[in-house]
Amino acid sequence: MTIAGRTVRFESKGGPSMGAQDLNIFSLGTLLIFLVPILYISRYLKLGINREIIIGMVRMCLQLSFVGLYLEFLFKFDSPWLNTAYLLLMISIACHSILKSSNLKLRIFFKPLFFALLIPFGIMLLFFNGVVAHIDNLFEAKYLVPVGGMLLGNCLRSIIIGLTHFYSGLKKNEREYLYSLSLFNNRTQALKPWFKESLVAAINPTLASMATIGLVSLPGMMTGQILGGSIPIVAIKYQIAIMGCIFYTEYFSVILSILFSLKTGFNAFDVLKTDIFQNDRN
Amino acid sequence: MISIESVSHDIGISQIFSNLSFCVNKNEKLLILGKSGSGKTSLFRLILGFEQPGSGNIVVNGLNLDKDHIHQIRQQLFYLSQDIDLKNEIILGLLTDIWEFNFTKELCKEEINQQLTFLELSPDILQKRTRELSGGERQRIGLLIGFLLDRPIWLLDEPTSALDDAMKKKIATHILSLDKTMVIISHDHCWQDSSVRIERWS
Repeated sequence: MTIAGRTVRFESKGGPSMGAQDLNIFSLGTLLIFLVPILYISRYLKLGINREIIIGMVRMCLQLSFVGLYLEFLFKFDSPWLNTAYLLLMISIACHSILKSSNLKLRIFFKPLFFALLIPFGIMLLFFNGVVAHIDNLFEAKYLVPVGGMLLGNCLRSIIIGLTHFYSGLKKNEREYLYSLSLFNNRTQALKPWFKESLVAAINPTLASMATIGLVSLPGMMTGQILGGSIPIVAIKYQIAIMGCIFYTEYFSVILSILFSLKTGFNAFDVLKTDIFQNDRN
Repeated sequence: MISIESVSHDIGISQIFSNLSFCVNKNEKLLILGKSGSGKTSLFRLILGFEQPGSGNIVVNGLNLDKDHIHQIRQQLFYLSQDIDLKNEIILGLLTDIWEFNFTKELCKEEINQQLTFLELSPDILQKRTRELSGGERQRIGLLIGFLLDRPIWLLDEPTSALDDAMKKKIATHILSLDKTMVIISHDHCWQDSSVRIERWS
């Protein structure tokens, strides 16, 4: 991958294909034409989602423009401290979003979840930069930020599935859990079936997408690199590396997020606390 | 062996019981009779530490029921819940797990077979899943686990409700002959033996 890494940098500095052609803002705007029939059909069918469609489109544009601005800023300064701070902030936002989607209380689970994400994420990210891509500066924004974003984005989904499965499942089958607890007299042993189910449910989507990748869809990172001027074989090597990293990070962060959350999710008598859910839809 | 000292307990706004006190001595069998909703099952949940009382003390075998002693206490309790809330797994796997975890030695097939014969269950049942069992079979598997664990204090919540009369009699007689401390909740007459102390709750 050393050579691969250098090739990418060489090409992006001035190879024959100088990255993707810039998009004219008005040409970008022409894409909105297709929104017209969509809004019309949705209205005709009384889907009641036109508001959401518009809000979604506007939010996407604003958020991505904002990302563009601060990425330029990050790339310009390229300070390890700033880059690390940015990633820590991203992890905090991810924790917030995970707990909201899992219907779990922020106050109780934020800290355990933060570390459950930070540890595998940090290790995998540095490993990717240092051992796989051989970058001299481990904290270089150009690698740290996009790769970190990809890892986090994918972990988000699997941790949400894992935590929701675990805590809702336990809540629903609390009597089974308590009965196991009385027989085993050990929380870890009594929780095992729910832990196993949640882990499998959480990593299943990634396993499925690993098994079909390339057959149906070209992954976003690869597409981006090819458009950016990399030759396909380099893009593919990166894609393989990133898929592996995503899977490993997901696997460990799901395990850790459940394990770390046990301390605050259960009381001293090993019973699931009643006030851990944000609302009682479970 | 079990001492309940002026325990009060509420769930939400409804009071389950207030100022409850009683004692069960070593190897004594106590049968609690009372209408449903009189808090009998809640009492078991309190003794097992699944719920915490609003006030009062629970002492099990000289140990105060608190977070420092809960594991020592649970180690002595065998609880047969009303619905035998076992996870839906193959019975043999379940028994092996429970056994190996509690005793760190291999499960003795012979002992299981002996108990199965007494409980009038065919050995094929070990290959079934919990959800495939009838109510009566579940209860007997629950009791089988109790026999295997052999813990000193038994809390039985309607242990024979799904069994036929002959089976009820046979099992009650056998269980009451064991050297165990027991608290039993049951509407079945087979438990109202002369060796059993009966407490009526209103």
